[in-house]
Amino acid sequence: MKITVNGAEHELASPPLTSLLNALRDELNVTGPKVGCQGGNCGTCTVLVDGEPRRSCLLPLAMVDGAEVTTIEGLGTPKRMHPMQAAFHFYYGSQCGFCAPGMITASVALLERNPNPTRKQIQNALGGHICRCTGYVKIIDAVEAVARGESFDGAELTRSRGGEATPKGASA
Amino acid sequence: MKAIGARLPRYEGAGHVTGQTLFVDDIRLPQGNLWAKALRSPHHSARITSFDASKAASLPGVHAIITHADVPRNVFGHLAFLGVPADEPLLAVDEVRYLGQPIAAVAADSEEAAQAAVDAIEVEYEEREPLFDMRKAFDPDAPKAHHWGNWLPYFGGELENAGPDRRRIRKGDLEWAFEKADTIVKGVYRPAAIEHAPLETQVALAVPEPSGRMVVYSCTQAMHFSAGHVAAHLGVPLNGVKLVSSAVGGGFGGKVDSSSDTIAAVLALKTERPVKWRWTREEEFLCSGTRAAWHIEVADAVTKDGWILGRKTLTLHDAGAYLRHSSYATTKHTFHCAGAYTIPNVSFLAFAVFTNRVPSTAMRGFGVTSTSFLAEMQVNRIAKVLDLDPYEVRLKNANRIGDTMPNTVVLKDPSTVPVVQAIAEHAGIELAPEYKAMTWEPRTGAVLPEWLVEQQAKGGQD
Amino acid sequence: MSHTPVVLTPASADQAVSAFGDGSGVTVIGGGTIVMPEIAGRRASFSKALLLSGAGLAGITRQGGVVRIGAATTLQALIGATPDPLSTAAQRVGDYEIRGQATIGGNLCAGPGRETPRGDLQAPLIALAASVRTAGAGGEQVQPVEDFLESGPAGRLVLEVEFSEPTRGAYTSMGRPHTHVYTVLSVACAETPEGLRVAIGGAGPTGARAPSVERALADGASVEDAAARVLDDVEPQDDALASAWYRRKALPALVARALADIGKESG
Repeated sequence: MKITVNGAEHELASPPLTSLLNALRDELNVTGPKVGCQGGNCGTCTVLVDGEPRRSCLLPLAMVDGAEVTTIEGLGTPKRMHPMQAAFHFYYGSQCGFCAPGMITASVALLERNPNPTRKQIQNALGGHICRCTGYVKIIDAVEAVARGESFDGAELTRSRGGEATPKGASA
Repeated sequence: MKAIGARLPRYEGAGHVTGQTLFVDDIRLPQGNLWAKALRSPHHSARITSFDASKAASLPGVHAIITHADVPRNVFGHLAFLGVPADEPLLAVDEVRYLGQPIAAVAADSEEAAQAAVDAIEVEYEEREPLFDMRKAFDPDAPKAHHWGNWLPYFGGELENAGPDRRRIRKGDLEWAFEKADTIVKGVYRPAAIEHAPLETQVALAVPEPSGRMVVYSCTQAMHFSAGHVAAHLGVPLNGVKLVSSAVGGGFGGKVDSSSDTIAAVLALKTERPVKWRWTREEEFLCSGTRAAWHIEVADAVTKDGWILGRKTLTLHDAGAYLRHSSYATTKHTFHCAGAYTIPNVSFLAFAVFTNRVPSTAMRGFGVTSTSFLAEMQVNRIAKVLDLDPYEVRLKNANRIGDTMPNTVVLKDPSTVPVVQAIAEHAGIELAPEYKAMTWEPRTGAVLPEWLVEQQAKGGQD
Repeated sequence: MSHTPVVLTPASADQAVSAFGDGSGVTVIGGGTIVMPEIAGRRASFSKALLLSGAGLAGITRQGGVVRIGAATTLQALIGATPDPLSTAAQRVGDYEIRGQATIGGNLCAGPGRETPRGDLQAPLIALAASVRTAGAGGEQVQPVEDFLESGPAGRLVLEVEFSEPTRGAYTSMGRPHTHVYTVLSVACAETPEGLRVAIGGAGPTGARAPSVERALADGASVEDAAARVLDDVEPQDDALASAWYRRKALPALVARALADIGKESG
């Protein structure tokens, strides 16, 4: 079986019913997607499969043969963040960090299919993602900010400890 | 002082949002590691009548199976440093007291091989009637949940000179309060146990160094506390272990006493190989500590205009099968039974009760959230019974600067008044002018009746 | 793994049917949302898995007043592309990711879970008087969805679900405590060519029809009176989501709401 992960093609040796999550983490050492419940209930393992958000714990490898997989690592890096990553960072949408990989990939996919979601639509889209720390408000704020076109200088955010970081185009 | 008031990016934020933060399960060692699984009790209460791991040990890929006999110091108390005696074995010896209690652990080449070995361990149990309901713990014929008895036999001091078997706080003259009261308002509150359910289950990676030092990559919330634990169970001084703090994927108190660190370390000690143990979601729910369940009975002596003259409480704290931090939680709870209010005459009584449930542990406001619940519910109930505004009852009885708490602490900056005023404002409640103007300054003037001032001045503690 | 199951990945419906055979020893994986957690939780043990994702069994056609839905069609694909009550029911299952993976065939085969009834699409399909085309020993077979649910999925491979376009349909359900729990209670009704049909989800191991309600309405009873008859048809149980008492209290109101939604005048 073959899959492309974040642009790199891999031949997989794991058995066909291995979950995509376990193959990513244990065979390919792509550890961004997290093991939260292995039952599809928490959202931490969410990745993009051919552009669609999926629970990697629920996908047997045999179902994703030939697929293009994007994980949180494939969206951006600390110095070159995807706008959604920068927004989560700026709006404190991540506290312990464990739900963020799933939340962010699902949010990116949401804006792909609905560039101007209402707050309620964001809530519904992230309804299957559990965050035990933030209470969700900051997460939804971050998604809204990206939807209304705020952009962030990710590098600035990581470097400017002690300074004040402001998103470009933010009203406040 | 550039940081004050500034909007600072989170230190770990960039790693979190890019998936680059390393949690314990994300750590890969160049030499690889063995994998651990635990044999856990399938019963709430049972004697272990036979244990045979010989078949399991011969299975392919199995490197070690440990039992209590392999743990250098099997029984260690979480509050040992406070002089509280130990009661909990790391691995069960001849009995199990809660469902999910670890009895043995396996290190193998894969999790599947480790689990297969766990499944192949032959154990026979003699089941006993479990105790689940704290209220039945005091019945003469109640099942025995703990070798000390069904409730903690001492508070403070060593077990030998046991001391009181209950936590008691008294202040003022409760009899006077109940005589003077216009109404007695009673309540029973039973906050249930709560699982923290962190998104990251407990994971530990123990790596033995050639020097003999044990390195543990831990998801603990309490690094030094856990280091002490691991060292104690391994029977080595503190410098014999090194705990590496990894990111914590949510803890909320539940990762204060993580036995995963220690059991992984004992397996690493025995195999001389790195060992990783990651709990399944099912284990996290079934076997990790929870917030304690509580049973609280309250009687308040109140005047018809809403003064709480006195409060009497009886609390049962569900410690679960072992003590862990329950004496601390019970004590803290008892100190705070007046909530954010100044009640001149109180008698608070609490027991830490053992049951055959998972041992309870810290969770956000250790022992105190239950007091906030009881105190706020009581205020609402008093206001309802007397047909008063609940905000005014709160402000009337609010903690003020200089008030003495039941535990003799004199308050320097109690925020009850501004907090209640702010809540009223946000809720669109128009307070009467005297309550709107109220501050946290020491009580004086018209709002406070003379006779209560005298009572306030009394104080005293058990 | 102590054993590695054989995994069959048929590339057509015919291949799927012949790989399935009489179904003995075969575990069918539609979307994987039910089977994969069983594997992770070590609750599943099987020697042969049949993956339907590549078998060309997905797709919806609406032609000549008949709706045909392939077994491997995802729940997300049903939304907007099928009539109510099915569309709304699909919309309320799980979240976008789950709906994009879970299939109608899997949902139809989902017996009760360990804690609660599953199969949230069963009641809508009963209300729509759907029939199920399956393969297995003795060849293909078409049977009403109620009969299929009664006999259970063992030995049968679901290929397709089919029903006539309803004139109107409505679906009401209790709000779920969390996105990923199954529906506490739901009511589906549809005005079909053969009359008004009402079905209940969450009040038994599988979805169930409510003939007493239908008869009462046909006899001219008020919506409220007809709705109250629902307790003659189902016997709700206690489970992890709700008590039987709660369900008994809520169900008639939910039925009345569904009937109002479909245009039955309240008396």
